[in-house]
Amino acid sequence: MKKITISFVLSLLVSVVGFAQVDRSQFPKAGPAPVIKIGEAETFTLDNGLKVFVVENDKLPRVSFTLVLERDPLFEGDKAGLTGFIGEMMMAGTSNRSKEELDEEVDFIGAYLNAGSTSISASSLKKHQEKVLDLMADVLYNPIFPEAELEKLKKQALTGLATSKDDPGSISSKLSSALVYGKDHPYGEVQTEETLNNVSLDDVKNYYQTFFKPNIAYLAIVGDMSKAEAEKVVKKHFAAWERGDVPTFTYEEPKPASQNVVGLVDRSSSVQTVIDIAQPIDLTLGDEDYISSRVLNQIFGAGSSSRLFMNLREDKGYTYGAYSSFSADKLVGQFSANASVRTEVTDSAVYEFIYEINRLVEDGVTQDELDKAKANLSGSFGRSLESPATIANFALNIERYDLPKDYYETYLQKMNELTVADINKTADDLIDPDKLYITAVGNATEIKDKLEQFGTVTMYDNMGFPAKEMAAVDANLTVETVIENYIEAIGGKSAVGSIKSAKMVMDAEVMGQQLKIEQIFDNSAMRYAQNTLVGGNVMQSSRIKEGKGVVSGQGQSIDMTDEQVDAAKLDTYFLPEFYYETMGYTLTLDGIKDVEGTPAYKVIVATPLGASVNNYYSVESGLKIKSENPVSGDTFFSDYQEKNGVLIPMAQTIKSAMIPVPLEAKVTSLELNPELTEADFN
Amino acid sequence: MMRKLTALGLVAGLLAVPAIAQTKIEFKEFDLDNGLHVIMHQDNTTPIVVTSVLYHVGSKNEQPDRTGFAHFFEHLMFEGSENIARGEYMNIIQSHGGTLNAYTSNDITYYYESLPSNELELALYMESERMLHSKVDQTGVDTQREVVKEEKRQSYDNRPYGSILIETLKRSYSEHPYRWAPIGSLDDLNAASIEEFQQFYKDFYVPNNATLTIAGDIDYKQTEEWVKKYFSEIPKGTKPIYRPDVTEPKKTAEIRDIVYDNIQIPAVIQAYNLPPKTDQDSYALSMLSTYLTGGNSSLMTKELVDKQQKALAISAIPLDLEDGGIFIMYGIVNMGVEPQDLETEIDKLIKQVQDEGVSDRDFEKLQNIMENSIVSGNSSMAGVAENLAEAHVIYKDTHYVNKVMDAYDKVKKEDLQRVANEYLTLDGRVVLYYLPKPAEPAQ
Repeated sequence: MKKITISFVLSLLVSVVGFAQVDRSQFPKAGPAPVIKIGEAETFTLDNGLKVFVVENDKLPRVSFTLVLERDPLFEGDKAGLTGFIGEMMMAGTSNRSKEELDEEVDFIGAYLNAGSTSISASSLKKHQEKVLDLMADVLYNPIFPEAELEKLKKQALTGLATSKDDPGSISSKLSSALVYGKDHPYGEVQTEETLNNVSLDDVKNYYQTFFKPNIAYLAIVGDMSKAEAEKVVKKHFAAWERGDVPTFTYEEPKPASQNVVGLVDRSSSVQTVIDIAQPIDLTLGDEDYISSRVLNQIFGAGSSSRLFMNLREDKGYTYGAYSSFSADKLVGQFSANASVRTEVTDSAVYEFIYEINRLVEDGVTQDELDKAKANLSGSFGRSLESPATIANFALNIERYDLPKDYYETYLQKMNELTVADINKTADDLIDPDKLYITAVGNATEIKDKLEQFGTVTMYDNMGFPAKEMAAVDANLTVETVIENYIEAIGGKSAVGSIKSAKMVMDAEVMGQQLKIEQIFDNSAMRYAQNTLVGGNVMQSSRIKEGKGVVSGQGQSIDMTDEQVDAAKLDTYFLPEFYYETMGYTLTLDGIKDVEGTPAYKVIVATPLGASVNNYYSVESGLKIKSENPVSGDTFFSDYQEKNGVLIPMAQTIKSAMIPVPLEAKVTSLELNPELTEADFN
Repeated sequence: MMRKLTALGLVAGLLAVPAIAQTKIEFKEFDLDNGLHVIMHQDNTTPIVVTSVLYHVGSKNEQPDRTGFAHFFEHLMFEGSENIARGEYMNIIQSHGGTLNAYTSNDITYYYESLPSNELELALYMESERMLHSKVDQTGVDTQREVVKEEKRQSYDNRPYGSILIETLKRSYSEHPYRWAPIGSLDDLNAASIEEFQQFYKDFYVPNNATLTIAGDIDYKQTEEWVKKYFSEIPKGTKPIYRPDVTEPKKTAEIRDIVYDNIQIPAVIQAYNLPPKTDQDSYALSMLSTYLTGGNSSLMTKELVDKQQKALAISAIPLDLEDGGIFIMYGIVNMGVEPQDLETEIDKLIKQVQDEGVSDRDFEKLQNIMENSIVSGNSSMAGVAENLAEAHVIYKDTHYVNKVMDAYDKVKKEDLQRVANEYLTLDGRVVLYYLPKPAEPAQ
């Protein structure tokens, strides 16, 4: 009684104070740290080995079911890409429902259902749980794996692969994975056209039959469902699932580099360099170092108040953002620090990264940084608990990583007990600043030499394979000879010179639409006309004549500036090499480069006004195999055929930022020296 | 930093169904003498607390030659106060383990922070500082003007189709201040004097125009004490809040236009004027938009995207506003398809709903989808706080949070056909074609 009275009086006092003048110059102090109550998951196991976790939360009448397979990582080898198809193949129809029927039934109850190579998840309102479980079990037991769906998925994957080969971010992650883990490791292997094409329907079925087994599965149920009810519904839907032997796999542990080394992918059209500095680390969820590694990363590079961001963005302005991560994994984890920076500051940025890494390991962190990082991480830990799925994840992690039962219950306590010395020890344990893989994807001509100061630079291709060893250019070879050899290779000066004009039509398909490109070249009068048609309608066209250029599209026409006309002329002569000299272009031979496996001389062609293209001529055949134009993109030439005594490429592959997928264009009509009229250029 | 309802609202609009169905949301509310309305919701499951202030001021409260003020204040009010150093507002919240956000619409401005529950007093202090004496000075105005310029460039000028809302509103209203979007005009912001900004703050950012909502791991009594401690001394506004009293005249002819934008693929936009947000027909219209474009098995997605492949994507969004918003429908045209062709097909499907209505099965499906989204809208404290505040301010009844499902239950299958005929009328609509600016010369 007495206690109550006192606290009543106290609270009166508080409110009296409240109405008096508030001292606004002081921030209110935090109350005692709230006790984090983590709801416990109930668990039971079916006879077939399926382990079930139930996190009951009846705040809302919803329930979700997440089935996870716990298998060893898979080295897919010559079928790399297989696991990427499994989920969508599972969802592509069952012996009871077509894909369309499945979609409609899921939508009808406002539910969600999806599958991956190691998971199936579903959620719905409580009252629809029977229906959604029916659908989920149907997908689990009765997928029919239609051949047509696999073909469609392969086609999409091949398109994705083609796009990723030119995407600096994808190239960078392939390169650093290849270096950190090695190509013969599940985390380092890459998909190629060949491995994707190797995947057969039998492989998909075989995967399904091997790995979709209850004895390696966990089912997490979160929401408005008691353990008793869960036992009933799980038995009903999953007891018939038959166990089976699932193979296990082990892999050799990746080792860090013996000293700092640099891996570089040349992407000559880049204006930015993607830098990733990486190292394999031995870190698993639940390790002694794990929680302190979260704090360490928060201080070093997790957000906009971390060291990397403050240095490389706020202070130096090299980049839009610089970040780091310490990934934890049962097999092997990874430390990574990365940013995309302007080409000209590439070496300065790498220098700052290494400076920050050294500073972290040698000087450690400060008390102030530690306090802020703890507050930040405690807050987000607390907020994450709002989602019941987090509790289910915790329960799963405790099981999968064999953690103490109270691991998450005491997580914040463990974190708050960490000292500056603990964090410094973790930095020292995890990072070895002398054994880093420093990777860069960018314009090698500009950055290669500058990167030598950080370690031996090795060149890689856009798939993370070592670049073919390119011979040095013969010192006696001049750029003029390369051009002469090319003219010779396609038929010789007189044959090439005799072609004064051409009409060429190319057909291509993009996203199911027929595309037609018509071009008319009039070399002698320097006239050019181009129309791009989609489905028979002219989408875009351009004209150049009498020194002027016009571009039209969607009913509007715009005059080109003089600079634009100058740049356009680089590509508007038929067989332009014949005219380079008369046009007064500057030619520079920039070594021998690997063009999709073929060694080729790179020639930079620059106009007097400063526009330029890069052409690549095969060392062996002398033929032009690629041209890079900063405006229109990259064009690859192939299928050379003899016309009027001259070899003309009858196939072009065009990659450009303007089109979502590489365009495979075939020449379907070619007239050399045709009659041209004024109308052709109107 | 802050997400903008203006652009994002287009996408989020579909999910913005405000409240709860079966599970009742309990709350307590009270008013301070200065007019501040306070709503509290206790939920001790997770030790976090969401604190929010809804100011009943949006772009519609602006003068035609001073547009963009409400949105500008959304930025300005992160500049600090007499006791919070410039630029520190966000750092303080984050270093106490919190996160924060804000947005501005045509009707309201909304600020919120989510913090560990032992930091509630800090949150209340921060919001009271903002309401009592935000820093509205030349330095702040100059800094934020640059930020807003950058934002406009990123979110409107450079983002493909980013100007849809601006261009559509401009033509959908001739009288009502909804004719400009919250982002407003940079020229107006440039032309405004510091005194005008200070006056706007005094006019609208006053307790009698604000609703404070606290949701989460709280103690009701303690919370009320702290609210009184920090907010009681804030003076009430001295004049009535300006709210436009404009009735938008009904349009009698279609408005049709072309907008050239930095895009690769053309788009077709249609907009139809809607009744006020609180009108009972709003529920039928929201179901109608879901019927037309919500999900893979919706009418237009199935017909125009999957089957005919005339559109790459299609979406119908009721932008429901206090004084009557607009129903915006936009379709991105597939390669080689003429915008005209897609529009014809869209119109055919609208006509089909007008003539035939929807089937029993489709109506049941719509009810299921609505129920699911209403239930899910209250799955987080942030969602609950926002729904409570909106119920009080827009629906003038906080209990509305528990009545949304009832409102949907009153919608009959026939209502979908009726509202399709009543509101999706061809003679008063706006039609825009978004076409690519002719590109850089490409060989």
